[in-house]
Amino acid sequence: MKARKKRDIGWYILFTVPLLFIFVTVVIIPFIVGLFYSFFDWDGLPLNPKVFVGFDNYIKLFSDTRFGSTAIQTTIFTLIAVVLINLLGLAFALLVTTRLRTRNIGRTMLFMPYLIGGLILGYIWKFIFGDAFGAIGEITGQSGVFFNWLLDSKFALLALIIVSTWQMAGYIMIIYITGIQAIPDEVIEAASADGAGFWQTLFKIKFPLLMPSFTICLFMTLSNCFKIFDVNLSLTGGGPNNATEMFAMNIYNEIFMLNNYGYGQAKALIFFIAVAVITLVQVSITKKREVSM
Amino acid sequence: MTLKKLMSLMFVTVLAATTILAGCGNNSSSSDSSNEKEGGGAGKIVIFQSKVEITDQMEALAKDYQAETGVEVEVWGTTGDDYFTQVKTKLANNQGPTVFSLAPGGESDQMSAYLEDLSKLSFIDKIVEGMTDEKDGKVVGIPYTMEGFGLVYNKDVMDMSAITDTDSLIGFMVDEKAKDKTAFGLSEESYFLIGHILNTPFALQEKPEEFMNAVIAGEQTITEVKEFQEFAKLYAAIRKNSYNPLEVNYDKACGDLATGKIDAIHQGNWSASMFADYDMEFEMSLAALPLVGNDKLAVSVPTAWYVNSQADEAEKQAGIAFLEWLYTSETGEKYLMDEFGFIPVVEGMQNENLDVLSQEVQKYAEAGNTLEWATNYYPAGIVDVYLTPIAEKFFTTEMTEQELLEEIQAAFVEAGK
Repeated sequence: MKARKKRDIGWYILFTVPLLFIFVTVVIIPFIVGLFYSFFDWDGLPLNPKVFVGFDNYIKLFSDTRFGSTAIQTTIFTLIAVVLINLLGLAFALLVTTRLRTRNIGRTMLFMPYLIGGLILGYIWKFIFGDAFGAIGEITGQSGVFFNWLLDSKFALLALIIVSTWQMAGYIMIIYITGIQAIPDEVIEAASADGAGFWQTLFKIKFPLLMPSFTICLFMTLSNCFKIFDVNLSLTGGGPNNATEMFAMNIYNEIFMLNNYGYGQAKALIFFIAVAVITLVQVSITKKREVSM
Repeated sequence: MTLKKLMSLMFVTVLAATTILAGCGNNSSSSDSSNEKEGGGAGKIVIFQSKVEITDQMEALAKDYQAETGVEVEVWGTTGDDYFTQVKTKLANNQGPTVFSLAPGGESDQMSAYLEDLSKLSFIDKIVEGMTDEKDGKVVGIPYTMEGFGLVYNKDVMDMSAITDTDSLIGFMVDEKAKDKTAFGLSEESYFLIGHILNTPFALQEKPEEFMNAVIAGEQTITEVKEFQEFAKLYAAIRKNSYNPLEVNYDKACGDLATGKIDAIHQGNWSASMFADYDMEFEMSLAALPLVGNDKLAVSVPTAWYVNSQADEAEKQAGIAFLEWLYTSETGEKYLMDEFGFIPVVEGMQNENLDVLSQEVQKYAEAGNTLEWATNYYPAGIVDVYLTPIAEKFFTTEMTEQELLEEIQAAFVEAGK
């Protein structure tokens, strides 16, 4: 008995230590170092002076109007994108788990956009929203809808939402598919024997049993949308007039363009806390609603 | 049974260990090579430079250099856009190249602690005055070439002797617009959109650097200065009489000029290579942007060579020897002039094969008819992070000229903090 326990510990160590080692070196240590730098006024070059400024960087944050408007834009973007991605992902998942003959090819096609890197995706859609939309507008005369979306602050944000939805929905769909497939057929059959229709089955049987999937999907979309950078960079570059500058890009600009390493670190830390709190609240809420069979 | 389990356990352990070791291995091997680079000294130097157009030629030069001197040269590639971030990160991590390039001014100021003193190079005295980059009285940067920007224009349609000030340029734009043509346009890239054209009003001040520092400090307004007012006026005229620059990229703007769709763009002699692909039916040239009657071309050194002061002594000497060779040997000169197409910056060098735009730059430079690049004094990152959004706003809304200048001024104060 004891020998067995010892061996279990051996296995446990074998599988956790490498991961722990990597996690500590690439996440924990840089995080602590970053926290340290956020108290300095520094441009990131070791030979250049670091000036200790205490909490000045954090105080400065609250009067930074550009960071403020970035926060608002990121929140708007995240809210709309999370809802859209999950609605579409769920709808796709329901669609390709029916007896549809094209379900396999459908899954592949819907998942495909996720396989294209965000940067390339952004450039492709930049062409569509820019040149293609302009040309369509000229040909059809529908210039109210078809114009260069990327030159209008509201439509540029919408374009960003559409592209990220297009990219993420297929991925989220896969998670929902596994959730749906895990629901035992007997439960569905029992429900239909009791006379439940499509909607009733969906809302009373499938959704409660899908709650673990909702937890994962909402968590992933929330954190991914908050952290969006690649599509942002290639599609709009933050423009026009910073209307689509998201958190990550604002921090990138602060550190690498304006050389304010310490201030950028302070921003990144606040950003981290915000994302952590929001996703933790979301996970704790949806976790509570999970039911076990 | 137990043996089998033991074996499998061992197998997994070995697998895990190799993964970890392989991970570390990569690191250690790369640090090894940098150690070797540092320790081995004169045997090898690394060059990292920002001019993407000459990458292939640099590779060829590396081979020739090794053949002549026996020193191995490794050339690192870059995509261009984020070169400065890359070189900065590499130098900060002590994995820097031996010889690298920077834009003299803002960039080299920030990196000054990393720049080796190059005053001992034999050809320093022969470099055109004011073209070396000096820090604390020491020469640290050797110029690549000189570049100039202004109006790249179609000589058949534009008569520059009639276009001598802001009003006549705007007048020409209005006339062409009436004929359904476009006279003058910008393109969407940050420097081509606002960075370069905003140079002119700054450079036209009596003391551009002091003037800009006063603006950054908030002591000087630009809204009341004539050069800036005319700049805003020109900008508004572009909004009114030209295409939206946000919809046109550099390639398209150059193509439109080459095919006769636009009469002039605000570019420099670097764009000559863009036109080489076109069969042009007209002659083109480069002229000063005639803001407030200006007739001087903005000419300066876009990039300069530097040697990494943090490398060890032998490597530094090898880097310096490379620069010495590049500017004094026959092969080096051949590369600078014929292969890179540079405008000579060292006395005694001549380039017979300059393109039409570079010839123009050389003419302006020889006549001393040049403006500074005040862009070199811009606060770091201002063009991409602050000025471009303002220009985007200007070209997509009804923003007034006054508001434009106010926002630009606020941007300088903000970015210079």
